[in-house]
Amino acid sequence: MALAATPSTTEASCRGRSAFALDRALLYDLADVALTAARQGGASYADLRIGETRRQYAFAKDDRLENFDERASQGFGVRVLLDGCWGFYGARRLDVHSLRDGVERALENARAVRPIQFQPIELERLPAHETEWIMPMVVDPFDAPAGEKADLLLSIIASARDHGADFCSASLSAACEERFFANSLGSRIHQTRTRVAPSFQATAVDRASGRFATRDCLAPARGAGWDYVLGAGLVEEAARAGEEARAKLDAKPVTQGDYDVVIDPTNLWLTIHETVGHSTELDRVLGWEANFAGTSFVKPNMLNELRFGSELMTIVADRAQPGALATIGFDDDGAPAEAAEFAIVEKGMFKNFQMALGQAHLIGLSHSNGCAYADSPTTFPIQRMPNISLKPNPQKCSFDDLISDVENGIYVIGAGSWSIDQQRDNFQFGGQLFYEVKNGKLGDLLRDGAYQGRTTQFWNSLAGLCDASAYHLDGTFTCGKAEPVQLAPVSHGSPPALFRNVRVLNTSDDA
Amino acid sequence: MFLSSDDVKAIADQVLAHSRADACAVHIHGGLDQSLRFARGGATTNLASAEAILRVSSHICGRIGSCSISRFDGEALAAAVVRSEEIARMLPVDPDYVAPLGPQNYGFSNRYDEATANLRLDALANAAARVIEEGARIGVDTFGCATTARRFNAFATSAGLFAYERRSEIDLSATARNRADSWSGWAGAHQFFADRLDAERIARVACAKGAHDATPVDLEPGAYTVVLEPDAATELTFWLIRAMEARAADEGRSFFARPGGGALIGEKLFDEKLTIRVDPADPLAPEAAVGFEGLPQRARAFVENGVVTTLYRSRAWAQRTGSEAIPFARNFVMSGGDVSIDDMVRSVRRGVLVTRFWYTNVVEPKSLLLTGLTRDGNFLIENGRIVAPMRNMRFNQRLGDLFSNIKALGPTRRTWRAAGDGGAPAAPAMLVEGFNFSSKSSGI
Repeated sequence: MALAATPSTTEASCRGRSAFALDRALLYDLADVALTAARQGGASYADLRIGETRRQYAFAKDDRLENFDERASQGFGVRVLLDGCWGFYGARRLDVHSLRDGVERALENARAVRPIQFQPIELERLPAHETEWIMPMVVDPFDAPAGEKADLLLSIIASARDHGADFCSASLSAACEERFFANSLGSRIHQTRTRVAPSFQATAVDRASGRFATRDCLAPARGAGWDYVLGAGLVEEAARAGEEARAKLDAKPVTQGDYDVVIDPTNLWLTIHETVGHSTELDRVLGWEANFAGTSFVKPNMLNELRFGSELMTIVADRAQPGALATIGFDDDGAPAEAAEFAIVEKGMFKNFQMALGQAHLIGLSHSNGCAYADSPTTFPIQRMPNISLKPNPQKCSFDDLISDVENGIYVIGAGSWSIDQQRDNFQFGGQLFYEVKNGKLGDLLRDGAYQGRTTQFWNSLAGLCDASAYHLDGTFTCGKAEPVQLAPVSHGSPPALFRNVRVLNTSDDA
Repeated sequence: MFLSSDDVKAIADQVLAHSRADACAVHIHGGLDQSLRFARGGATTNLASAEAILRVSSHICGRIGSCSISRFDGEALAAAVVRSEEIARMLPVDPDYVAPLGPQNYGFSNRYDEATANLRLDALANAAARVIEEGARIGVDTFGCATTARRFNAFATSAGLFAYERRSEIDLSATARNRADSWSGWAGAHQFFADRLDAERIARVACAKGAHDATPVDLEPGAYTVVLEPDAATELTFWLIRAMEARAADEGRSFFARPGGGALIGEKLFDEKLTIRVDPADPLAPEAAVGFEGLPQRARAFVENGVVTTLYRSRAWAQRTGSEAIPFARNFVMSGGDVSIDDMVRSVRRGVLVTRFWYTNVVEPKSLLLTGLTRDGNFLIENGRIVAPMRNMRFNQRLGDLFSNIKALGPTRRTWRAAGDGGAPAAPAMLVEGFNFSSKSSGI
């Protein structure tokens, strides 16, 4: 078989389109080469990921654009199962020789771990798919000129500084992942998706006292294009941020105590992520992350038994929400998005773990549920979250309704400092803005707050939810897990929610 | 993809030859990483991954545009240069424009060993086997990760700079959990030379720490005397170092900012026992000789006898303020003392021995209020003796207070870092009073 030495594309950075860049015929040929070599080497199963990731990152601070970098990286990763042992090898060169060499190294690695593979890896047989999936998008962020992005960042900064901020930094990240997946069961799946993350931080300083306050951007990262960035109202939000950073300097300190806490989706997404998303990952429950990311307070015998939260709490997984960061047609094991549509918590009861290939049988289940991701073609796919979101109240409930019976509460907006224990129980989360809620009405701005809790106690204190009209999707590019650390994009949606008797701390120096 | 100095030079020369910009800078880094994870006494995942990235930055009329690629064939290199120039022309003029560095004098950092660089995955399986065997011997479940890395890092510029540095790394970390899943212990180490990694010791320490069947005791939140093992001390020191940025201090946005303006350089902010140095020639924890932006890393103290002596500073900020550019340091050496951990424990009436921390994060940057949790080996000390495993706790602690209240230091030791990021800090065990535990955690 005569194959080109490299994919017949120019460097991705010279393009600007949302369709596939890698040549399909070549991908199929490379897959045949690799999977045939794996089979001939004795592998009972093999899969291959070939891909290209394009990234753009721009960062500006105050009056200068400090960095504008565009990156395009290609690569492959081949995973073989040999005598019940995984072996993996990834590299950047996409040619027949490199693929063959990669298979040899993967087989060598599988043989190397055999002396410590006391329990053979067992896999379920996933159905084969031959298909493609392209994320819908209006304007490819890689098509927007660099100068336009620089101008936007400097406009954001100017807006914040014109409205009270002494300093401001702003950044824009964009990524496009194109992936081709092939396995020895016959799957051939070609996908591409794009995401963007605008961000800024406005800082106000009181030179005399030495105190300073910051207010971060509330616009979330999204699976979207440049049109989303332009429509996010960043310049206007930066003006508010400048004013609010300045106002925080003179705001009343939070008085430490137990409060009814109303949490905005711009903050609650991270709480969902840390307390529910990570605690229900089966690889953590099995101990596979015990040495780093941690285990979980949730155990296999708690399926359908654990009251995770109140009746209002229904948390669902999906890979289909438009604009969400983990939305895709197939996961990195080749499982379709439909597999990842399930309830994790339903009306407060724990219902499902998140699982990747080879995990379900370890807790007596027949199949996994589409929760695998590798942050590069050159890294081993592991169990990662799909989108995980809190369902809104099916009954009509506005924000005013939600806070109407709160006598002494605090409303938290935006994610701040965060920390949670390795079993996902004890957490402490900050925020960007804290407001008093007095007798059913929003009150004054407060400063220096953080809330602390225990996961199931917190979720069982969920006492109110807004309806779908207040639903908001937030998320991050950079959820870290595994050794070596992999970074995954993921979204979490929710409406504003009310929690009773939550411990609120004062974090200020002068409290 | 590991590249030799000659390979990198040839690639960089091609890039510079393509350049039509006023000036051009090239940064190439990459290598081969291999890792193996194990859980409950058996292998789970492994990988070998060969990576390399080239970044070309084109300087045109006070603007800098950059493009990074992973293919190094002639066509890809030429396209990257063109694209970086195209980007540069679209950007606004940088008011703090800094031209590429010319030739520099670098020291030598002894961080590369051919034998370590050539290890394959079977060596990691052997290291993991030491932990698994020890766990089986004393009846605990073992989990962990072993990693090797062979990396290079290089800079070249049209102003005549060529800098190339390589390193080899190996690390092993292990967690042991008792069979009731109610207690855990941990140990880990990182070395640039594989023959200095003592896998058997890591296995013994982790398993011994994890082999406790007694129900962990609960401690009420409050201020306690703590004995921080070197890995715990490193975690806290890392946050202190990270905050030592000159620009934030100059702008009043930092713990190191002086009320009314200016940075607190030359001020005694900490206990006189606190000295933190960075040195590429340090035999225990050598920093890279080639620092951020291609700047040479020199031997220097950031804190000396409690006095702040240095803050790190980018080239652009140094130019604006007329100061010396000082690269950020991944590695540091915190000077130690001669008090053993056993002697520290003997001196404590009631307190806590902490093995390591988890999920630390700054809550309030002005006071360097840090939060986080203890993890994998928290023990209650009473009347000079370790009396029981103690359930984990969350802390909220101002680092300024902590580093001003050091009661004793042990010998400085290399502490764990995952191989691959070049980190190699060293710190002593610390005896500190008044450490603020704010709440209980059930996390084991």
